[in-house]
Order: sequence, then structure tokens, then C-alpha cells
Amino acid sequence: MSQQKAVRLGAETSAEMKPIAEMVAACYQCGTCSGACPVDAAGGMDYSPRAVMRLIQAGLEDKVLSSQTIWTCASCYHCVVRCPRDIEITDVMTRLRNVALEKGYKARKGKVYNEGFMSIVRFHGRMWEPRLVVQYNLLTNPLNFIGLAPVGIKMFLKHKLRLLPDHPQGRAEIRGIFDRLEGGDE
Amino acid sequence: MKYAYYPGCSQEASAEEYNRSLQAVARRLETVELVEMEDWNCCGATPAATVHPDLPHALAARNLAIAEGMGRAAGAAIDMVAPCAACYKNMNKASHALSDDPELLARVNATLNGHQLGRPPRVRHPLDVVVNDVGVDNVPVDKPLKGLKVASYYGCLITRPEGGFDDPERPQSMDRLMEALGAEAVDWPYKTKCCGGAIYMTTEDVSFTMSADVLAHAKAAGANAVAAGCPFCQLLLDLYQDKLEKIRGTQFNMPIFFFSQLMGLAMGIDRAELGLEKLVVSPNELLAQTIDAPESDEKPKKERAPKPKRWGEA
Repeated sequence: MSQQKAVRLGAETSAEMKPIAEMVAACYQCGTCSGACPVDAAGGMDYSPRAVMRLIQAGLEDKVLSSQTIWTCASCYHCVVRCPRDIEITDVMTRLRNVALEKGYKARKGKVYNEGFMSIVRFHGRMWEPRLVVQYNLLTNPLNFIGLAPVGIKMFLKHKLRLLPDHPQGRAEIRGIFDRLEGGDE
Repeated sequence: MKYAYYPGCSQEASAEEYNRSLQAVARRLETVELVEMEDWNCCGATPAATVHPDLPHALAARNLAIAEGMGRAAGAAIDMVAPCAACYKNMNKASHALSDDPELLARVNATLNGHQLGRPPRVRHPLDVVVNDVGVDNVPVDKPLKGLKVASYYGCLITRPEGGFDDPERPQSMDRLMEALGAEAVDWPYKTKCCGGAIYMTTEDVSFTMSADVLAHAKAAGANAVAAGCPFCQLLLDLYQDKLEKIRGTQFNMPIFFFSQLMGLAMGIDRAELGLEKLVVSPNELLAQTIDAPESDEKPKKERAPKPKRWGEA
């Protein structure tokens, strides 16, 4: 669908933000996304999705990239299916995470979680949840282990914990995917 | 019909009962043959795209290539079945993107060393297979789920992003299945609301608020059980139900089944094969009161409809 732009983008939009600003140029601020967003409703966002769209349009890059919202978006696509302007809001949030990481914005928890998750996939080829939980909490707040113990015991008793990692034979190929992409330009 | 079965990481750990019950149901259905893919890898869930925009596609492409190879060996393309909603969405999205964009396909193939993807196979959720390939009326029901009032919980990724097999706002497929199994499908507004599974490690309190909302709505709609088709939804609502109860200050006491477990129960499959014992909120009491309750000889008493109130009457 051809989208008519609702705003003219400011000249101050940086090169990294330009493609993202193009993605949201059609936003006319109806707020349907914010109304659909379950994370915002639960108090998990500092800027609602609508506000993020506007901040991008206005070129207020610093506010967007340091916002909590881009890391707490649960990628549930509820905003996307309701958006009357067909904006891929979930993809916008992911792209914003990429730029925030590139530019060295503080995103401790989100960064530790995402990087930890993918390092396990890179190493094992599959997810190994106990390692992710241990790694993540050691790096963020080791005191969490006290609170985690009851859940861990419950899962152990229900045989819901994978005590040893699972390895596909093609681990080398999977690592190769990571190496080739990370070694590339982007 | 043959399908390339992609279990996904959770099916061998936290959601092992989903895997087990699904396989048991498939064995019984005869028309469905789930052949587990060899050497599959993780789909990358949501974090993959933060490493590199092509990474989710590349991880999916390797899996899609394995499924494509199985089709080649069988002489005809076969669909891939992914029971985890996150895997399903990732692989389905990648399958479409890679079919539509030859440049992306070439770029992604260049990152693989061993597999090459030609024509991405279709990716299906098992609910789609049951409803649209098997047909809900062709599911053999030995033991109707009488008395179960089931809130069908699709969560976010079975029906979204758009273009899947059911409506992203008001899906009906699981509800139709539950009615065919003899249960009452409860109509409720939170069918496709997100449980917060993707963010529960980083922002636990927010995801618990979201999950508690989902359960509270299921309860308010009169459900006595929830059917899930996603390992994260099931995990949050079941494993953490005591915490959600604390948040809401109420007792939910709501068993959270995988829809495949309810199918298995209705089909009369041996319960040991359905992994019911792995549910944290035990369904035993509910099942004893409903589908396992002895038929009573007494005829149900006719209830008189209450007199309509007059205008102004309290």
C-alpha cells in the first residue's frame, strides 16, 4: 500500500535513524497502537508506542534511543494488526534496539538478555534455558537467585528443566551463520 | 499427510507435555504423520534480530532447508509444523520473506555452509493442521469433555502478524475444536492478548501484570480451564499462577492445558501419554468433577425462569 506521509521529516534526522523515520512517516498519531499495547497498559513503558512514533518523526533521537519502551516491547504485533497506516511498529522497535546498541546507549538488562540468549544459540545451536537464567542473573542481579529458587525447584520436580544442553550435529554451520553475519558490514 | 515436525527448544524441556501429547494425538489421528526433523536449530526467538537483521531469516532458512530436503526425499513438498508459537511465527515470517525476496534468499544462503534453501516450505501451527487439514469433526471423540468450560487462549503469535489461518483479533479455530471435543467454549475478550512471555526475564513485574489480567478475564468469563497453544503462555499462567494470584489478591485455581492435552483426553488416549502430571496447577480435581464424574440417574431439575422484574423493582 502506498503510504502518504503525514509529516515532513526534519533535516536533523541522523543517517541511522533515517530508514526508521521513513517507516513511521505515515503515522498520523491516532493512538490506536497505544490503545492496543498490553505492555503500556501494564505500566511497562515510559513512552507509549504512539509517543515513540512522534519522537522519531520529530527527530528527537536521544529520547527514543534511551527509552525503556524499545526494550519492553513484547513483539506481540497487536499494534501492527490494528494500525490504520500499516506501520510495522514491532519491526520499528527492533530496529531502534539495533541502533541503540550500535550507538552505545545504556540498555543493560535488554542487552544482557539478548546477547546472552544469542550467545547460547551460537554455542549450542539450541536454547539451554538454565544457562540463560544463570548467566543473566549473575550479570544483572545475583540476589535474584534467592527469589528464583522456589520456581527452579518446582520446575526440577516437574522434570521441566533440561539439565544438560542439547546439541544438533550442525553446530559448526550455525556458528558459521553468526560469524558471517557479524563479520559483514552491518 | 506427512509433516516435517520442528519441535523447538521448549518442547524438550518446560513444555515437554505439549510435545508428548501432540505426538500421541497425531499417532491416533492416522491422517497426520509428524516426522521429526533431524538436526534442527533454534529459531532465534525475539533476540536474534537485535544481533543482525538477517539473523532470524538465516536461522530459519537452515530449518526450512532441512524440511525442504525431507520433501525432496519424499517426492513432494511437505509442510513444516511448529507447535511453539514463537518458532511458528519466526519460521512462517521467514518463509514468506524468503519466498518473496530472492535477494534476501541469496544473501541468507550465502551464510549457510552445508544446507541451501531453494523453495521455502509452508510453515503451519498444529492447531491449523487439526482444524483445516484434519477437520474438527473428524477428531474421534470417545470421552466428551462434558462440564469443561474452556477459555481458548491463542496468545499473540499464533494469529499475528496478519495473514495466518485465523483472525488476529477474534480467532475461532480453537473454540470450534473445543466445542467439537464436547467442551463449552467460553467467549472472552483476552483470547489474543499477550502474556508478556518475551519480556518476563527482563521485566518480570510487567509480564506478571499482563498474565494476571489474562487469567482474571478467563475467570470472569466463567472458564474452569484454559487451553493454550504456546509454551510461554502456558508456562506463565501455570508455573507462576501462585504469583499471579498474589498480584490480583484472588484464587484462580485454573488448570492451564495445552490444547493437544485436551484433544488427547477427549480422544480417550492413555493419560500417561498426555503428560497431565507435569501441569503445576493440577487438573485432577476438575477432571474428577467433570469428565470423570459418574453419570447421575437423577434427571436434572427443571429450573423455572425467574419472573421478569418490573420497571423500578429492586
